[in-house]
Amino acid sequence: MGKLTGFLEYKRETPERRPVPQRINDWFEVYQDFAEEKVRTQGARCMDCGIPFCHTGCPVNNIIPDWNDLVYRDRWQDAVRVLHSTNNFPEFTGRICPAPCEAACVLGISEPPVTIKLIEKTIIEHAFDEGWITPEPPRQRSGKRIAVVGSGPAGLAAAQQLARAGHSVTVFEKADRPGGLLRYGIPEFKLEKWVLDRRLDQMRAEGVEFRCGVHAGVDIGGEELRRAFDAVLLSGGAEHPRDLTVPGRDLNGIHFAMEYLPQANRVCAGEAVPGQILATGKHVVIIGGGDTGADCLGTAHRQKAASVRQWEIMPVPPGERSPQTPWPLWPLKLRTESAHEEGGTREWSIATTHLEGDEYGHVRRLHAVQVGPAPRFERIPGSEFSIDADLVLLAMGFTGPEKNGLIEQLGVELDNRGNVKTGKDYQSSVPGVFAAGDMRRGQSLVVWAIAEGRQAAAAIHHQLARDHKKA
Amino acid sequence: MPLISPPPHHDIYSIEDLAQLIYDLKNVNPRARISVKLVAEVGVGTVAAGVAKAHADVVLISGYDGGTGASPLTSIKHAGIPWELGLAETQQVLVMNDLRSRIRVQTDGKLQTGRDVVIAALLGAEEFGFSTAPLVSMGCIMMRKCHLNTCPVGIATQDPVLRAKFQGQPEDVINFFFYIAEEVRALMASMGFRNMDEMIGRVDQIEMRDVLAHWKAKGLDLSSILHNPQVPGRVGRRCLIAQDHGLDQALDYKLIDHARESIENGSRVEFKLPIRNVHRTVGAMLSGEIARRHGSNGLPDDTVRFEFYGSAGQSFGAFLAKGVTLSLEGDANDYIGKGLSGGRLIVYPPKTSLFLPEENILIGNTALYGATSGEAFFNGVAGERFAVRNSGATAVVEGVGDHGCEYMTKGLVICLGRTGRNFAAGMTGGIAYVLDEGGEFRSVLCNPASVDLEDVVEQADVQALHTLITRHAEYTESPRARWVLDNWASMLPRFVKVFPHEYKRVLGIGVKPPQIPLMPPPTSELKQEAARG
Repeated sequence: MGKLTGFLEYKRETPERRPVPQRINDWFEVYQDFAEEKVRTQGARCMDCGIPFCHTGCPVNNIIPDWNDLVYRDRWQDAVRVLHSTNNFPEFTGRICPAPCEAACVLGISEPPVTIKLIEKTIIEHAFDEGWITPEPPRQRSGKRIAVVGSGPAGLAAAQQLARAGHSVTVFEKADRPGGLLRYGIPEFKLEKWVLDRRLDQMRAEGVEFRCGVHAGVDIGGEELRRAFDAVLLSGGAEHPRDLTVPGRDLNGIHFAMEYLPQANRVCAGEAVPGQILATGKHVVIIGGGDTGADCLGTAHRQKAASVRQWEIMPVPPGERSPQTPWPLWPLKLRTESAHEEGGTREWSIATTHLEGDEYGHVRRLHAVQVGPAPRFERIPGSEFSIDADLVLLAMGFTGPEKNGLIEQLGVELDNRGNVKTGKDYQSSVPGVFAAGDMRRGQSLVVWAIAEGRQAAAAIHHQLARDHKKA
Repeated sequence: MPLISPPPHHDIYSIEDLAQLIYDLKNVNPRARISVKLVAEVGVGTVAAGVAKAHADVVLISGYDGGTGASPLTSIKHAGIPWELGLAETQQVLVMNDLRSRIRVQTDGKLQTGRDVVIAALLGAEEFGFSTAPLVSMGCIMMRKCHLNTCPVGIATQDPVLRAKFQGQPEDVINFFFYIAEEVRALMASMGFRNMDEMIGRVDQIEMRDVLAHWKAKGLDLSSILHNPQVPGRVGRRCLIAQDHGLDQALDYKLIDHARESIENGSRVEFKLPIRNVHRTVGAMLSGEIARRHGSNGLPDDTVRFEFYGSAGQSFGAFLAKGVTLSLEGDANDYIGKGLSGGRLIVYPPKTSLFLPEENILIGNTALYGATSGEAFFNGVAGERFAVRNSGATAVVEGVGDHGCEYMTKGLVICLGRTGRNFAAGMTGGIAYVLDEGGEFRSVLCNPASVDLEDVVEQADVQALHTLITRHAEYTESPRARWVLDNWASMLPRFVKVFPHEYKRVLGIGVKPPQIPLMPPPTSELKQEAARG
């Protein structure tokens, strides 16, 4: 609760972003440091509600008022204990979560909400600085072996939970390093990768085995996985991107965001990427107005693009919370991320009609039209236009997990959206095969992935314990 | 000023006490319906029967499901049982004893839907209380901060900044109740009822759902809840007649007649009347009349004077309004000066009596319960719980029984004689001065948990004490008061001032002033610096 009248006395205050001219010349975190004393004052704004709506706004059900109060009272070690009790990776969510908790904060009815995300990040960074975050290996081993396929936030959360429960966990990752979208999707300026490595070190010390460069379904078959492990968790994400089906799509210079962003992250990590897709000096058009599009936008600016446009097919959302999404729902409203401040233009209600290339087969011009609202997106006659475009990035969302490969081999049932179908126990139609994260619920937030990973881990643990009792 | 919560009702120890309270309230405002709220509990039917016999107009059966947000969790979770159970028992007991027809039954405790209303009606309720649900309809988000003045939606707060955040509209509440009424109407139509009266107590219309497949439901037997007592047709199953409060016997009709002119135009009036102990609650109806005309301001001091002689019944001078002085030569029963509201009471033994007033009981128990203002002078000893929960009256007495000044929050009490044990228990405000001749008050009889015991040394204290004792001597011709005043120099040091801790805190006494560090006064240059920040 902090101070009883704190919310009346203090204003919401969050860290400033670094000046745009400075930050677009490097890849470091865009936010400036924020004094811990100020964070404690922000903690005092929490009202300790009788019905804390933030609990349910947060997918991992973080016990937010409790740690707000502990921070206000300078009890950081207790705060991190409470924070970790519901969230394995507050250092990720404290940086990149869109904070549905803050949208559900009761103070948000009439005032700017409590800076929950800032407090979360500050607690975990304080704890790392103090050296309180140490490996927590299990005291006893169960002797059970679990395969986690995919090392994104869902897989990592499940792996950590299961390893701490005493199981032998092997994480399979097809890329050369673990982290999934955390490593190769989210740009460095939003999540510096030492944050991820720091947590992976802890997990390795807790006994999690990472087998990178092993593509489950290719290098190791589904049957083999089931034979070698007591349980298999599918947490491979929703990797299949939504495509743009217009004439000229097969021209060069048109890429999915998830082809473009990983390369930039690899270069940041010091790798050489031959033939890297670069925005440098190009006229860039990003098709898709969401977070992935914003990540492309920030990355293109840092690569010194000549111009960047971000297009969205939906109409421009309202500036404030719309009546269609009243408190405590996640509000439909226009959001301005750090990348949007850095330049480029955002345009709404636009659909691409076709693309035009040069004699070498490279995209040069993009033809588009203004459209009406969803769901019909009716073209407005006479509104056709075309612009120069040398690089077109498709960030139009993901339609579900990749089907061919492991999913096919295991023969798990899919739901009508193409995601792996599970029961309440996160178990798929194939016994012993579980699913969590985007692979189960479709594309979503990191915090949802963590929530699913934790719950799937609990389900696997209970299942194994039950089987063990029977045996 | 802090209060002890929940408030102990030291004026109600039995159903007879309750009957007296109902009679008192009915006297002070005969137009008001008197409602008694009972927590749904096993045995609530028996209590409700007593309430009906005590002539309450309404009995409210309150279930355990609801509860104010300010309650501690223990009270929310563990007080009482569901209203359905308490209501069923109440209806059955009232019908079986032919008491139902003269009292209305109300129920509350998390009623939220029209279905709740219909079930309550079928179980026997005629009135239905809602609070949380309509509050939510106008913006309450169940913060459970009602007692802290920090309600962020501006409902349970006096803070103008927070009140400005209130976004509720009357239409929200109207809407809510419209839906409730609509659902009730639909259910009534499906059951074939034309009006609410037909529905009251029709438990035969409720049956247990057989779709409850849960294994715990196997052991459920609702027959005793759905029992409909078989009684002759003349016995009413809902409220059909009004309670007979027996007000027509009240002495106050005579008093009002005598004082009619004074109430109208403020002219002075004085009467002398005999009184007997069947005359209960004398002065209350008169005070109600004055309050109806003049509000809580009452009349100018001493406008209406009645002098009684004889033995007064219970609640003599209850709720006595400002401007009324009742003096009594004789003695009085319990609850004298209950809820005293600005009037003056003077009681002294018969002039012809030979005993020493300070050694004999003059008035009964629980005097001045919940008095808010006014004065009382008693030339004799009071019973137990003198001035319990006094919240503002000034009183002089010559001795009290156990638990004097219990839970007192405001006002002034002077005791010129012995007290009983446990004086000042739970006292959080006001001041008492006790003449402690033998020294056992200070050492044994006073309960010092919430009070400090001090000598009377401050000039203001001495002055107040002397003035009041002088007036006491004038009004009552008390030989004790006369003796104290005659020996003032030697008696003053024997007075003990009873000063509650909480009262001191509110007055800022006994709290150390903040330490101001010794520092040279800032020079003009420094001042300018400071101004620049």
